[in-house]
Amino acid sequence: MDTQFTGEHLLPGQLGQFFIVLSFGTSLIALFSYYFATISKDKLDTSWQKLGRLAYRLNLFVVICIGVCLFYIIYNHLFEYHYAWAHSSKTLPVYYIISCFWEGQEGSFWLWTFWQAVLGVILTFKAKTWENSVMTVVSFSQVFLASMILGVEIFGMKIGSSPFILLREAMDAPIFSRADYLTLIQDGNGLNPLLQNYWMVIHPPTLFLGFASMVVPFAYGVAALWEKRYSDWIKPAMPWTLFAVMILGTGIIMGSFWAYEALNFGGFWAWDPVENASIIPWLTLIAGVHVMLAYKNSGHSYFTALFLVLISFILVLYASFLTRSGILGETSVHAFTSAGMDIQLLTYLGVFFILPLVLIIINWKKLPITKKDEDTYSREFWLFIGAITLLVSCIQIIATTSIPVFNTIFGTEIAPPTNVIQHYNKWQIAFAFAIATISAFSQFLKYKKTDVRKFFISLIVSFVVAVILTGVIVYVTEIYQNVMYILLTWSAVFSILCNAKILGEALKGKWKLSGSAVAHIGFAFVLVGALIAAANNKIISVNNTGIGFGDEFAKSNNPRENIILYKNEPVKMNEYTVTYQGDSTSGVNTYYRVNYKVIDDKGVVKENFSLYPNAQQNAKMKQIVASPDTKHYLFHDVYTHVSSVPLKEEEHHEDHEGHSEDEEYQLPVVHEVSVGDTVRFRDGFAIVKAVNKNASIKDIPLTKDDVAIGMKLEVQSKNVTVETEPIFLIKGNAKVDFGKKVDELGLKFRFTNILPDKDKLELTVYEKPKAEKKDWIVMKAIVFPYINLLWGGTIIMIVGFILSIFRRAKEVK
Amino acid sequence: MIIIAIAIGVIVSTYADSSTYGSFSDAQETQKELHVVGKLIKNKEMVYNPQQDANYFSFYMKDNKGKECKVVFTGSKPQDFERSEQIVLTGQMENGSFQANKILMKCPSKYTQDKIEVTEVKAQVKS
Repeated sequence: MDTQFTGEHLLPGQLGQFFIVLSFGTSLIALFSYYFATISKDKLDTSWQKLGRLAYRLNLFVVICIGVCLFYIIYNHLFEYHYAWAHSSKTLPVYYIISCFWEGQEGSFWLWTFWQAVLGVILTFKAKTWENSVMTVVSFSQVFLASMILGVEIFGMKIGSSPFILLREAMDAPIFSRADYLTLIQDGNGLNPLLQNYWMVIHPPTLFLGFASMVVPFAYGVAALWEKRYSDWIKPAMPWTLFAVMILGTGIIMGSFWAYEALNFGGFWAWDPVENASIIPWLTLIAGVHVMLAYKNSGHSYFTALFLVLISFILVLYASFLTRSGILGETSVHAFTSAGMDIQLLTYLGVFFILPLVLIIINWKKLPITKKDEDTYSREFWLFIGAITLLVSCIQIIATTSIPVFNTIFGTEIAPPTNVIQHYNKWQIAFAFAIATISAFSQFLKYKKTDVRKFFISLIVSFVVAVILTGVIVYVTEIYQNVMYILLTWSAVFSILCNAKILGEALKGKWKLSGSAVAHIGFAFVLVGALIAAANNKIISVNNTGIGFGDEFAKSNNPRENIILYKNEPVKMNEYTVTYQGDSTSGVNTYYRVNYKVIDDKGVVKENFSLYPNAQQNAKMKQIVASPDTKHYLFHDVYTHVSSVPLKEEEHHEDHEGHSEDEEYQLPVVHEVSVGDTVRFRDGFAIVKAVNKNASIKDIPLTKDDVAIGMKLEVQSKNVTVETEPIFLIKGNAKVDFGKKVDELGLKFRFTNILPDKDKLELTVYEKPKAEKKDWIVMKAIVFPYINLLWGGTIIMIVGFILSIFRRAKEVK
Repeated sequence: MIIIAIAIGVIVSTYADSSTYGSFSDAQETQKELHVVGKLIKNKEMVYNPQQDANYFSFYMKDNKGKECKVVFTGSKPQDFERSEQIVLTGQMENGSFQANKILMKCPSKYTQDKIEVTEVKAQVKS
């Protein structure tokens, strides 16, 4: 029985699904056309090539159409579609709707497909003689990517997962038996609050452009083997390789900056498998760039260059398998859950692994591999050694990241190292030391043969200056606790000096040659910045006061990194006097104003700033999602986030049965008073001013026999004076009293009795406990020293890459 | 050749560094840090009282073999803790309670799980 559902908008989805099938079709046509164009004997017949071009350009258009349909659905909150329901909500600002796109697997696959389509179209214009073979490989990859969002069943196997699937198709729920189920779905699930950050709008597109552009050097490598044009692929592939490395590097750093700005794990790099997955192919391709240069200029390292370029893209595919298949399981904080496409991803990976492997085996004997060893004092030798060092560092990262994969394959139960960060740092600092050192001195080596005496003379100055500078830096930044830190600092300084010297020489001549020197300087800055900020970040919110569970803590070496701040009670942290001053809510976020002051001995305020770390409260879920706020200085950052806050709902909880409202107060204190007496309580006092014999009570009519007496009180507390009048009533034989609350002071007064024999009046004072009256936050504050070296170095590195790309692109022409 | 030797050395040492998964019983027998996987016992007491100590959080967990144990964590209570489906602890036994250095939770995140909020739907039907 078919139910006619009301209110559904099926057109955009059907249109989108049509475009998806079309994108799969056009990429398939492009694949076959370019394949036949490549193997065609008749070089004058360009009909296959023309068809391939047309199909691939059409593919780009169709892929854009898919994006438009999806955007339309999310933008108009069509919650009948699963994707819109799962990833957006009506309250989401428009610019974050873009982020919804790549929150789900399907959207991020679309992004990848889109970039690969754009890059492919550029190749159809620029690749010239390489077009047919290179585009065959790119189209082949495009076929696989298009299949990831296909979402059709063939022979009982589901191929891909479509973003246009309807909510009622995606899951079973009783409400879908109703024709008007849409009226019951008021809002979508919304975007993960952590992704609601402007970096999340630009970080994924950059990262995926990086991933997508790695297919180009790969395609050149495969094409070279296929067409047996073994050597001349290096030149045209060079600018593409540099481009891929630059964009992926930028994407990775953006991600780490986002983590630093928006996540509260307190750092910029955590060696999480998802982070590792993106840096592994970057490292191998960086290594690839260097040996490509070595081959181009000396004829050495051909196989290494080819291997690294090919493996980089294979590692991109392996990385997507790791992060998208759910295999990482509990080792990663932010891996995706499986979308049931493991087999498809593995096929993609397998095909693109076997294809170059077979081609290499077929062509092995004809590859231009030199038998001669390189000269030790030659640039090509050290380029090779540097590349190999990078490769080994990669192997270390892959080995640890892949532990869950090995567990799955071999059924073992190995757990990752307990202190992951330390484990990686131990290895990677050593590798970074080697690489920075090589990047320094190899700049003075020439290809083929170098004059050894000249080489050492030009090095010795930089070497000595680097040693002195390192001493200064290590002393100033206080990183002398670890020999490896000192060595790494030295190697980075050495690299900066050597490359600066090269840069100086380049500036006298051609500025285009300066690219590599600038990139190396940037890289060295990144190393120093990351090292100092990571090694020496100082948690200043150390709790020295909170005692109460002493014994169990005694043995623990964990520092107490969180501190509680009561509203308007300053706490001293290092040089800062920190005060929590209140909160304000805007939209879903609550911002906590935390004021930092530096006051010198004379009491003069030297610095004064406020940070607004925020938390999204979800009262229903009893959880908070916290984001930090950071004060940036030139030489250090002060980073603050809240770890725990009172949940908003607690402030106005209802009185439920069985609880009297007096429970909010501490045990009452009973006083016997006369007019003129003063009653003290914790924060102030109350004076009995007078007795009002004609008190009236709202809503209770008084007869002649009734007696209503008010006690006029003047309450003084915390510089506030308030008047109040609790009432005592004798109605018939019953004694009733009407207490008065002074909410702003957390007090309640009751006129509970009249004691005629003592000529006294009985006053009962209720007081709220101190802590509950006050707002508090638990926060953590970290000082990151010299972190700007990391971000600044990144920018310098990117500039270096851009210079190099221009140079290499000119060479192609 | 040297390179291959280094690479092998790297991999071997990676596995020397790696830890093992275990249960609370295993943790009692060893001094080494272990990974323990289990579930939060929701009806037992969970202590996090920032007014007294912002860095003390304790709760009870049942490991995959069914053994219950008190867990002490020096730090603030992780966000969304009550809703965790599975917890992975890293740490060791100390004086009969498990001292956790790291807590990793698997949550049925609101943002990844396909579960319509039926409560909301029902409220709408009534009105």
